[in-house]
Amino acid sequence: MTPIITIKNLSLSYSGKQLLDIAQLTLEQQQCTLLTGCNGSGKTSLLKIISGLLQPQHAEIEYQDLDLSWKKAKSLIQKDFIYMHQQPYLFDDDVINNISYGLLRYGENKARAHKKVMEALDWAGISHLAYRQAKLLSGGEKQRVALTRARILSPRLLLLDEPTASMDIGAKAQTSSLLQRLKKEGVSILITSHEAHTIDQLADRHLLLHNGQITDVATSTYNDNVITLKTAKRTHTK
Amino acid sequence: MGDLSQTSVTAIILLLSGDSEIWEIISLSFGVSLSAILIATPPALIIAFLLAFYQFRFRRALISLFNTFMSIPAVIIGLTLYLMLSRSGPLGDLKLLFTQEAMVIGQIMLSFPLLTAMGHAAFQSADRRAWETAITLGAKPWRAFFTLMFEVRFGLIAAVVAGFGRVIAEIGSSMMVGGNILHATRNIPTAIALETSKGEFTQGIALGIVLLVLSLCLNAGISIFQGKGDLHT
Repeated sequence: MTPIITIKNLSLSYSGKQLLDIAQLTLEQQQCTLLTGCNGSGKTSLLKIISGLLQPQHAEIEYQDLDLSWKKAKSLIQKDFIYMHQQPYLFDDDVINNISYGLLRYGENKARAHKKVMEALDWAGISHLAYRQAKLLSGGEKQRVALTRARILSPRLLLLDEPTASMDIGAKAQTSSLLQRLKKEGVSILITSHEAHTIDQLADRHLLLHNGQITDVATSTYNDNVITLKTAKRTHTK
Repeated sequence: MGDLSQTSVTAIILLLSGDSEIWEIISLSFGVSLSAILIATPPALIIAFLLAFYQFRFRRALISLFNTFMSIPAVIIGLTLYLMLSRSGPLGDLKLLFTQEAMVIGQIMLSFPLLTAMGHAAFQSADRRAWETAITLGAKPWRAFFTLMFEVRFGLIAAVVAGFGRVIAEIGSSMMVGGNILHATRNIPTAIALETSKGEFTQGIALGIVLLVLSLCLNAGISIFQGKGDLHT
């Protein structure tokens, strides 16, 4: 396995309270990592730090054979990693313009961007949404549009914050299926979820965030994950 | 009452007849106020954004200051500017007193706090995810700023419209630093004041009608934009 990024000595605190204190975290290429933890454990903050959106008090980043401070690595990781909110934000525009947003920012011309967007919509099975106003879509549709918008930029790492939270069963299945296909395409994924069973087929690795620290829950199957997670939780409760 | 109706009819006829003096005053008024708004809007919106999205020292104090200055009387602005631009003032050498430039400066000073405070409210209501999404999708900060502006455009347009409404109808500053000079610095409010003091109500009412119609349009505009914004949130 080749690491995509290694973060060392990460610390983040809010108003004097230490939220994250991680000695080392390595994410591997083409691997799907599931990150679990209680509410308020810092999962979202960790994802935002890794994606270059939230500045920690301290962090050293090993990325593309470079040892950098978080500040110096920020522009590199922002270019290669995409973070998706629990409830993805779609711009007040139609679906096509939402998906082409990133392509245009990276200098793609409008005609080529449009062609790529239509292909991407077809890939995601949401061509019928192309001209719909993004704000008026359902939660599941928004999630699929946001995944398509991320995928079109070919990110090296996709950071997904609770992508299936508050979705009905049908929407969950469609989102999981898209994530499976992204994984098959070789996209590395870091995903937080309270619903481990929804992404049991997806995760190669399971990390637990507790008391600001990361524990590697070394398992390869869902059942083992759940057992180990439960054991870990019980240990922490004690 | 009969006199008022008769004068109003004469005023409307005067307006519609294309009276050159009246239309010169109207065009000067719009020219000065539009220039002031065009100059004040970009920096005001940048400051509004910074106040809404960044934490720094004196941020809260600045917000309070802009909110306070939002309702400062135009005559106070006029007086301050007059003292600065008068011959013995610190900016007397610029010889700007009783010019359109001085009127523009006065109106910038009047509209700036309003634009900033209303812009701040608009940015404050923006979803922070919009900014983060733009950045994570590869937008540079300035591009993400424009994206955010687009997301809160209705609130920002309402701010600009309200700012324009404030300056087009102000009299205190324009009278003091403009001097109400015919063909040079006479705008709608100063002309109304002058004509009324002379007992010449026709021109005053004609210009009043222009301000009234404008005010109606601006308020309707603000309602429409704010309503659209509500529908989109």
